[in-house]
Amino acid sequence: MTAASPTFEEVRPELSAAERAAIRSARIRGVVMAALGLFALQFAIQTMDVAATFSFWVDKQGGNTFTIATQVGVLWLLAGVVTGVAGVIQLVRGPSFQWRRALLIVIPFWVAATFAGLLAGKPANVTIVFAGTLTYAAPISLGAFAGILAERSGINNIAIEGKFLMGACAASVVASVTMLALGPAANPTIGVLAGVLAAAVTGILVSLLLAWLGIRWRVDQIIAGIVINIGAVGITNFLFLRILTKQTELNTPPTVENIQVPVLSQIPILGPIAFQGSPYLYFAVIVMAAFAYMLFRTRWGLRLRASGEKPSAAGTVGIDVIKIRYRAMIVAGILAGIAGSSFSLASAGSFQMQMSAGRGFIALAAVIFGAWNPIYAFGAAMVFGFADASQALLSVLGVDVPPQLLNSIPYLVTIIVVAGVVGRVRGPAAAGQPYDQG
Amino acid sequence: MRLELRDITKRFPGVLANDRISISADRGQVLGLLGENGAGKSTLMNILSGLYKPDSGEILIDETPRTFTDPRQAIEAGIGMVHQHFQLVPVFDVVEAVALGAESVSGPLGSFDRKTARARVLELSQQYRLNVNPDAKIEDLPVGVRQRVEILKALYRKSDILVLDEPSAVLTPFETEELFGIIRGLAKDGTTIIFITHKLNEVLEVADKITVLRRGRVAGTVDPKEATRERLANLMVGRDVELTVAKGPAQPRDVVLELSDLHVRDDRGHMAVNGVALQIRAGEILALAGVQGNGQTELVEAIVGLRAVDSGDITIDGKSVTKSTPRQIADLGVAHVPEDRNRDGLIGAMTVAENFILDTYHREPYSNGIRLNRQAIDERAAVAVKDYDVRTPSIHTYAGSLSGGNQQKVVVAREFSRPVRLVIAAQPTRGLDVGSIEYIHKRMVEQRDQGAAVLIVSTELDEVLAVGDRVAVMQGGEIVGVVDGDDATYEKVGMLMGGVH
Ligand SMILES: Nc1ncnc2c1ncn2[C@@H]1O[C@H](COP(=O)(O)OP(=O)(O)O)[C@@H](O)[C@H]1O
Ligand SMILES: [Mg+2]
Repeated sequence: MTAASPTFEEVRPELSAAERAAIRSARIRGVVMAALGLFALQFAIQTMDVAATFSFWVDKQGGNTFTIATQVGVLWLLAGVVTGVAGVIQLVRGPSFQWRRALLIVIPFWVAATFAGLLAGKPANVTIVFAGTLTYAAPISLGAFAGILAERSGINNIAIEGKFLMGACAASVVASVTMLALGPAANPTIGVLAGVLAAAVTGILVSLLLAWLGIRWRVDQIIAGIVINIGAVGITNFLFLRILTKQTELNTPPTVENIQVPVLSQIPILGPIAFQGSPYLYFAVIVMAAFAYMLFRTRWGLRLRASGEKPSAAGTVGIDVIKIRYRAMIVAGILAGIAGSSFSLASAGSFQMQMSAGRGFIALAAVIFGAWNPIYAFGAAMVFGFADASQALLSVLGVDVPPQLLNSIPYLVTIIVVAGVVGRVRGPAAAGQPYDQG
Repeated sequence: MRLELRDITKRFPGVLANDRISISADRGQVLGLLGENGAGKSTLMNILSGLYKPDSGEILIDETPRTFTDPRQAIEAGIGMVHQHFQLVPVFDVVEAVALGAESVSGPLGSFDRKTARARVLELSQQYRLNVNPDAKIEDLPVGVRQRVEILKALYRKSDILVLDEPSAVLTPFETEELFGIIRGLAKDGTTIIFITHKLNEVLEVADKITVLRRGRVAGTVDPKEATRERLANLMVGRDVELTVAKGPAQPRDVVLELSDLHVRDDRGHMAVNGVALQIRAGEILALAGVQGNGQTELVEAIVGLRAVDSGDITIDGKSVTKSTPRQIADLGVAHVPEDRNRDGLIGAMTVAENFILDTYHREPYSNGIRLNRQAIDERAAVAVKDYDVRTPSIHTYAGSLSGGNQQKVVVAREFSRPVRLVIAAQPTRGLDVGSIEYIHKRMVEQRDQGAAVLIVSTELDEVLAVGDRVAVMQGGEIVGVVDGDDATYEKVGMLMGGVH
């Protein structure tokens, strides 16, 4: 700038360092988005002649189909345009642009286009992916609710994975034994219920162990949780290798059948996706609604949140923080245990070693991504469920990607998502801190 | 209701916190409970509110003995407590924070009946002119308002006996006056009030009766009409106390620290220091007064290099240090006595000896670049402990287990062990006993007389007036006034602190 040309720049009030930084990063973001949009258009040109065929089941799984046939290039074109528009708006509006919300719109286009690109012309059934998303989301969300409940009360609950495993194992064994005891003519639902009950009780016991270590003995809750997780792997591996592989009748539980939600299951396309699914899904949805109401609208919720945010404030008005924490942990144990039973009773039909495969940790990611709110956490669980379902579909269809890489999709998604939100959301302030009552 | 505590004794591991303490207050009376830090005031009140169980002794309400095994029983007996540290959930709004534990509910699920609670909060707020917005979030409220929310909490529970534990510690003089108004109003309506403080002026102003505690015992009960500051201080400490700091006139020389148009942000990104310009000369003490949270913390952190400067300049002896690291700044001869000594001043899990060399551990003779020289470290510590009268069982004792006063002496000893050009002391006497306070002040004056520039940041008016050669007042991130030490009066500085200028 020369002294001779007094410009508009000079009369502008001086901006602070932080404001300047915000403007700069907004600019960078805008340029990056626009560039990505151009990339997508480039892909579009290359893939204009590759077919993308998506089909839906209209009335029931395996029934009539409804098909959308287009080109991969068209999807990239859409992705490119949406991204480019977002980039331009970002450049024009600067730091005030709600770019995170924009990403929520942009990302699905990229996912769809990438998906179609990977399939390289093979037709794919979308109902399977979406229904799978919900099925996979159910245990993750239940685990997340267990995490939210515990952390809102002030206890770090990283032992969800352990509860999943123990619950899965207990459910399979107890359901199998129950059916053996009742004989082949018995209603398998009784076996399933016995298994679920056993899983819930196991979850409670594991949960209480963690609570007791953390509250009574003030053991660091993260360390106690890690120990429990490792212990759960050890115990269930041992049971599996020593007993269940030899006496397979102890590991042949009745499986949980999908249910038809009255009326809603008849909706075309949507019915087969969302309303002909696993009972675990509907259980999770009911828990979500009830939990969200209880947490934010009731006396119980108020006291629970106070215990996790500032326990001394609760303690000084006569609330028994310790009792609240133990109770929360019991319910968390029930939820996580039941979620665990879904692995052996609904998915695989038997218990397998380490069958939860880190879903308990993904549930923790959903706690954070869901900002300790049951409804958001359910949404987060769906994102992770989608990663699981896509991975399953892509493996089945045999796309040209190494299976190891495919298998890592859910974990990669988890890492990316959590890295993106950590530091932006604030958990209960006192989670993990022991509380002394006078 | 009449309240009486009789022969209350409470022992913690190693400390007899309350030793046969007896106090009483009649209906509508304001009992001032005066005592130094650690005298046992909070312990006594925690016993009254059911948080601690006394080892022996009785609580009588209207002459009836009562025992409280948990806070709920005390609340039901009509005892309302405003704790020294606010007991409000920061993420709640006022209605939730006030109703917590005494919620109105409806429906089978126990739904929180917010409407009823809100109406009652509003009604009480108006009745007692507390002027609290029921929908505001606690963490967004200034401390003065949080204090009133705490009082609301007690009123909401229909307390007949209200205990306020050091309520004025975080208030401006103006807010303190307001609080006294509220207290008098409540007392007139028949509430029995116990007002706890370590500030002499306050008990004299508001109490109908003063009981002084010293080291867990009652040192005396006096009538405020007949009491003097000197007499109260003597009861509190057990000997005559200098209420002023002995120091000669300042002899200011060249400018050491200069701040020009300084802007600094707090952790949340708000502008905490908003255009501060200030000079401090060698040989003078500038006392920076102000209520907690008006940017003093950020200002100090910026000066010593712990916080990034948004804009403006800091120079020490004419050299700009705006972008310097804490070590570079320390090497210019800056001694820093931080506000939160347990977080920034020393490492509790290290020994006293190790704490003495936190600033010089990387230099000869304490280390040769690879190994620490334990012998040199211990020798140095032995000297410092003696010079600064640090009462510690050994130089190998963990610093965290010392009393506040001795911890502060460790910090001061370490910081003054380098050649000192500039002293930055933030709340240097907070939470200390009178003996330690006198000692620290003496050392500060000594540094001044040896030619250092001294900045003392304090929220305590008494301290500011006693040590400052000049007094600057910070409010809302700005310096709202600088007064010469001789012209600085309680009223004048208090007005500036309260934002009346
Ligand atoms: N929970 C506790 N455990 C151990 N010691 C304590 C506890 N609370 C207070 N003390 C000790 O009891 C003494 C009195 O403390 P306190 O009642 O807080 O004094 P005051 O409120 O008068 O400043 C102090 O020496 C303090 O260290
Ligand atoms: Mg106290």
